[in-house]
Amino acid sequence: MRSGGLSILLMLLVALLLRSTALSVLGARGVVIDVLAFATVAWSLRYGETSGTLLGFTIGLLADLDDGHWLGRHALVLALLGYAIGRLSHTLVRERTRTHLVVLAIATAVHQTWCTAFDLTGVAGWPYLLQRVALSVAVTAPLGALLIALARRLYGRPLFPHGPLGAGTTG
Amino acid sequence: MGGFLPPAQRHSGLALAICTFLSLLLLATGERLPIASLRGIGAFVFAPFDRVVLSVDRLAAAWSENQQLHLRIAALELENERLRAGGEENERLRQQLNLPLYHARPLKAVEILSLSGEGLVTSATLSAGRHGGVHEGDPVVTTEGLLGRVSEVYPDLSRALLLTDPNVAVACEVESTGVLGVVRFNTAPRPRLVLTNVPLGDTVTIGERVVTSGLSQHFPRGLLVGRVARVGSDPSGLTQDIEIAPAARLSRIRHAFVLLIAGADKPAETKSAVNP
Repeated sequence: MRSGGLSILLMLLVALLLRSTALSVLGARGVVIDVLAFATVAWSLRYGETSGTLLGFTIGLLADLDDGHWLGRHALVLALLGYAIGRLSHTLVRERTRTHLVVLAIATAVHQTWCTAFDLTGVAGWPYLLQRVALSVAVTAPLGALLIALARRLYGRPLFPHGPLGAGTTG
Repeated sequence: MGGFLPPAQRHSGLALAICTFLSLLLLATGERLPIASLRGIGAFVFAPFDRVVLSVDRLAAAWSENQQLHLRIAALELENERLRAGGEENERLRQQLNLPLYHARPLKAVEILSLSGEGLVTSATLSAGRHGGVHEGDPVVTTEGLLGRVSEVYPDLSRALLLTDPNVAVACEVESTGVLGVVRFNTAPRPRLVLTNVPLGDTVTIGERVVTSGLSQHFPRGLLVGRVARVGSDPSGLTQDIEIAPAARLSRIRHAFVLLIAGADKPAETKSAVNP
């Protein structure tokens, strides 16, 4: 339990640090690597919907505080994504790179569309939104899938093992 | 749903309900919450980590930057001599014409510890705060031009809203013609800096410098904001749609300067520390 808490803290710290330093420089040039969606997806696939929801909400809330406007914007969508991916993870082949690619692409697209929509004023901004979401998906999904594959190779064991749900579930 | 998915984890529905409710509540009421102190704590906690991450990046660039800076110092020293003579002459002439003298304002050099904003960078954490003489409202500049203004001040850190924040508005003028307007950041139809409220009758041409007019509460006169990049007419047909290319490179900021004016009396006019 203690190591789980430390892992969450570490994940939050690394994701938020990356977001506010190296990735923000890329972001200003139009290349948004969605590290928040990546963290939520990875966590939900590994630990399921409860942890995924809570991590998504926490990391989203911290990002909202950092951004300064629209408190709850990231928290809501990341909590929902964490739950949905966690629920689906029981039926997915979680160790396949193709699965990671697709889940990351969907999560990034949903997260970026929702968050960018808050910055737009009117229909005129839709081309920009679509361009930004497409670019973000094109960068985040392959890079995230590659990172997971590398981590699995370094770790030497499956990162997202299928475990029995019986004891910890409601009927 | 039950036939398609296996049973849910215990309490997952409750966790989702609580998180969703809290998020919606924050979306509805978050703007009214006093979260500046929370952000201050966050900035304080993350500042050491930010410094470590940034120092790696900066060490790599330090050597070439050092060479460039040596050359630049030599060029600036020569230019400074010329400007000093010009400044003295200007001061004498202003005295003879009974015009008020310029006031140079102190600058506080700061490091940009982190940048915030999803995609578009809209704010930055600065490495100096109240103890360094920084006050809320102080303009933040780089050697290239205006960057934004200080929005929150903590003991040893502060937070600045950049020109890319849609809530920042700067009273400006076209330097050569004196045409007045307000510079804002618009996200539609695409993200860009625009000079608004300029009547169709005023002549503005591409390439002209846009500087602060001094009519704004926060910014003294003469700070370079950018150059006119495109001129068109507003959809309303009443004003011009003038796009500004920002002078400061907002995508790659390492260091900046805070003009320490908010704590002191605000002059109507100040000597530009950025572009003499």
